[in-house]
Amino acid sequence: MTAGDQQGSERVAENRELTGDQRKAERSAAIALAVTVVAGIGLFVVYFAGGQTQIEGVLFAIALGGLGVALGIWANRLLDAREVVEERHELSSGAAGRQALGDALAEEVGPVMGRRSLLLKLLAGAGGALGLALLLPVLSLGPAPGRSLKVTSWTRGRRVVDENGKLVTLDTVPEDGFLTVFPEGHEGAADAQTLLIHVRKGSLRLPPDRLAAVPDGTHVAYSKICTHAGCPVGLYRAESQSLICPCHQSQFDVSDGARPFFGPAARPLPQLPLGVDEQGVLVAQGDFYEPVGPAFWDRNRGN
Amino acid sequence: MRRTAILIGGIAVLALALTPATGTATTRGAARAAAQQQPADSPALEARGRELYQNACASCHGPDPSGPSYYPRVPSLAEVGGAAAVDWVLRTGRMPWKDNKGPAIERGEPRFNDQDTRALVAYIGRAVGDAQVPQVDPAQGDLQRGRQLYGQACAACHGMNGAGAALGGQNIAVSLQNVHPQDVAEAIKIGPGQMPVGGGLTDYEFGTASSTQEVNDIARYVESLRTSPYNRGGAPIGGKGPVPEGFVAWVIGLGALILAARWIAGRG
Amino acid sequence: MSMVMERSLKYLDERLGTSSLARKTLRKVFPDHWSFLLGEIALFALVVLIFTGTFLTFFYTPSVKEVIYDGSYAPLRGAEVSAAYDSVLRLSFEVRAGLLMRQVHHWAALVFVASIVVHLCRIFFTGAFRRPRELNWLIGIGLLFLALGEGFTGYSLPDDLLSGIGLRIFYSVTLAIPVIGTWVTYLLFGGEFPAGDIISRLFVFHIMLIPALLLALVGAHLAILVLQKHTQFPGHGKTERNVVGKRLWPEQTFKSVSLLLFVTAVLALLGGLAQINPVWQYGPFVAYNVTSPAQPDWYIGFLDGALRLGPPWDLNLFGFTISEVFWPAVLFPGIAFGILTLWPWIERRFTKDRAEHHLLDRPRDTPIRTGIGAAGLMVFFIMFLEGGNDIFGVLLNVTVETITRILQWALVIAPILTFLVTYWMCKSLSRSRLRPARINAGVRLSRTHDGGYETVSLEPAASDGGDRAPAGAGSHSE
Repeated sequence: MTAGDQQGSERVAENRELTGDQRKAERSAAIALAVTVVAGIGLFVVYFAGGQTQIEGVLFAIALGGLGVALGIWANRLLDAREVVEERHELSSGAAGRQALGDALAEEVGPVMGRRSLLLKLLAGAGGALGLALLLPVLSLGPAPGRSLKVTSWTRGRRVVDENGKLVTLDTVPEDGFLTVFPEGHEGAADAQTLLIHVRKGSLRLPPDRLAAVPDGTHVAYSKICTHAGCPVGLYRAESQSLICPCHQSQFDVSDGARPFFGPAARPLPQLPLGVDEQGVLVAQGDFYEPVGPAFWDRNRGN
Repeated sequence: MRRTAILIGGIAVLALALTPATGTATTRGAARAAAQQQPADSPALEARGRELYQNACASCHGPDPSGPSYYPRVPSLAEVGGAAAVDWVLRTGRMPWKDNKGPAIERGEPRFNDQDTRALVAYIGRAVGDAQVPQVDPAQGDLQRGRQLYGQACAACHGMNGAGAALGGQNIAVSLQNVHPQDVAEAIKIGPGQMPVGGGLTDYEFGTASSTQEVNDIARYVESLRTSPYNRGGAPIGGKGPVPEGFVAWVIGLGALILAARWIAGRG
Repeated sequence: MSMVMERSLKYLDERLGTSSLARKTLRKVFPDHWSFLLGEIALFALVVLIFTGTFLTFFYTPSVKEVIYDGSYAPLRGAEVSAAYDSVLRLSFEVRAGLLMRQVHHWAALVFVASIVVHLCRIFFTGAFRRPRELNWLIGIGLLFLALGEGFTGYSLPDDLLSGIGLRIFYSVTLAIPVIGTWVTYLLFGGEFPAGDIISRLFVFHIMLIPALLLALVGAHLAILVLQKHTQFPGHGKTERNVVGKRLWPEQTFKSVSLLLFVTAVLALLGGLAQINPVWQYGPFVAYNVTSPAQPDWYIGFLDGALRLGPPWDLNLFGFTISEVFWPAVLFPGIAFGILTLWPWIERRFTKDRAEHHLLDRPRDTPIRTGIGAAGLMVFFIMFLEGGNDIFGVLLNVTVETITRILQWALVIAPILTFLVTYWMCKSLSRSRLRPARINAGVRLSRTHDGGYETVSLEPAASDGGDRAPAGAGSHSE
């Protein structure tokens, strides 16, 4: 008999010794595998029929799950459940082993280096200089911040338009309404996004110089970029004349210079000074009174 | 054998339960809206309206709709948006006031039938000098333009998928996934509660051709949220984004896998 | 053994010397507790991520160049969107099985991080990070960070409105770093927000840099595990000098493969039945639009909650500004994760325990560590709750302000309470001797030096339940 035959007959002998429990387990596993086969065929059908996400997902789950169940049953009930003990070996080589390594390292390198400390110092210097130089291309990844965080494209005389470029007048926004506006020529500019709010007459509580920059005392403009973490503050609550930012729930009082009265924001939304030109179109009187958006290290320096 | 059958049956049930449900048309709202398109009001209608007003509304809003109300927190009907506002609150069951849960007024079952609603709309509309109820026709709306306008003006509060959101305090921007186009047109005109008048649209003026077209466009998009919500991926889990998704990942995903791990590890 | 198998093994053995290596490896013993499979769940979720992710890579275009959308999602037809967004929509609607792959990928990401966290908890609460496993603890924390970064970069790739808002917040957080913040941000993003380069850069991180690090660290993590052998719970016959369990082949292999299949099955089920990140509904990213509610994926949710809780204090020092974002988004994670990373050494400072440990603690036997861990989890849980404060507010009919105020107080009070309650629970569980460690009666095999086995019959332990570890096992008790 060859080795193969011998093992074959051993296997046959094993089969005859299955217990009742194992027979049940084998049957369950077989069913699970049959389910997998059916689901697999189903997947072919579904895919070539055009595919459908829900059915594909369920069939994959059934196919994979069936195989998983079968293997799990096999692992737990059809294998010889033997617990084995294995001894752990000491990981460390002990002091002697480490000493041997130390000697080996020192042997090759030590005598040479020990007397060449100048060489070592220069080696360190070279490594440092070269290392830093290798990092230089990283600086090409982006421009220097400069003043770009402190200015927007709003300038004195720039006309106010909506995001489609349509000019905005005092009649554009109804009372208790609001609109997202931009400087003409820069529609959609992220840093220049501005909220124009038509508040109820007499409801603004601003200092006189700021109030002078509100046409008709009703058309007030604030930066739409939340001073907390930069989300567009698009949620205007007309009845209470306040804004809420959806990201972290900072709330700003439009009547009071967009001062934050709840939530994590620390600074009001910067106001944009507005005026009206001869054609009745709203125009900016300059850039925002402060840098827009979240704070950064040198926000208040060198303005 | 039985356990396998139960397992397969359970998966089938699960699959059915999580398959995206298609929206059901709000036929009642449609009937009401159709009723609103019918023209004019007879004196009898207005008389009925006055009678209903005295019974149901005057105790808070005052004896005369165009005059002041009895309470400081109750607005006079002269400044809420006219007939459109009356139609909106009555059809959506927000008025008459149900209970004192706070400033946010909730939808509910409408108290008045079509006829009475029309009567009140006619009476109050004439009394406050704003009897026009918006005419909306989503079929005339441009779906793509509607989506764009919605993203500009409405999405911040109502969510791009119309799921709605909390607005701080008692304020809620309602879900728009199951509202009638008439609601959309009226709400934009009125600016109910905290909602801005004109809904944040450019140059909104009720009655002009451009505004009517814009409202039709938005109504068409909002209607698509109900009729063809595009939940191709499966159950939308509320449509509220990553928070419910994370919940499902932990409870269903990791939960199932921990159970699987316990089964696999056996009696170890 | 069949002829084919015999010949293949001979082929490999002659060229690679596989037979003796395989023989040794296949006989390796791994203990058999279900909680030891948690790390495997994470590993298999990673496998799913790699396979589905590779598929996605064939269809994704990492570019913000504007194209006109022309696919089957009607509301967007004719709209100008970025090529990245367009490619994701095309994958979702025009590619067969595309949406399934995308959703499986995203669910796998959520489950991946969740299973890492649960695995980390198991390691922490059983003291498996103690010597000699401190290095593996560090690698594990590194893997957690990489997983967070991988997830964040991944869900930002479709350039949709929701993830774009998240990117804006990330931009603001890096801006808030003192001194170097503006430089780091401009280098990372390529300029002022929304710098167009960021999508293609995130792509590089997501498919190349982070996966490379992930795979390298996972490899090291597993190699160290095999080298040091797995820990085990105390029980009859288990000592610090041995490992008792099942062999790699066949038992553990079958079990692991079975678990792999279950992981893929559950993820496939979720991917097909539960919609996730429907980017077509959110629309393309527009820098001046926003949608509500606005939250990140769950594993970043604690940062979102921290930002919502964070006190509105910005500091002005000599004209320089420290943004209010600094406390919740830079300082808090720095401290929290710093403590987490250094925990093995922090604990050692107080326990003065420098011994090697291969037997695990039962959490009830180390009430201080368990209490601190529970308190830490409570801190993160509070942050998660706050991150969803607007959604929970609507659900529970409570205002956002109320939830925030309650959770602000809870942040101070709840961890202390949690520690005390957990400590007390541990003590009373220890005293009551509930659920003693199980004994396995039956036949046990012991490995001999040359890899064979000898039989050792197991006598049932004494009738007190056997939850006392054998002498010298070194388990901690208070």
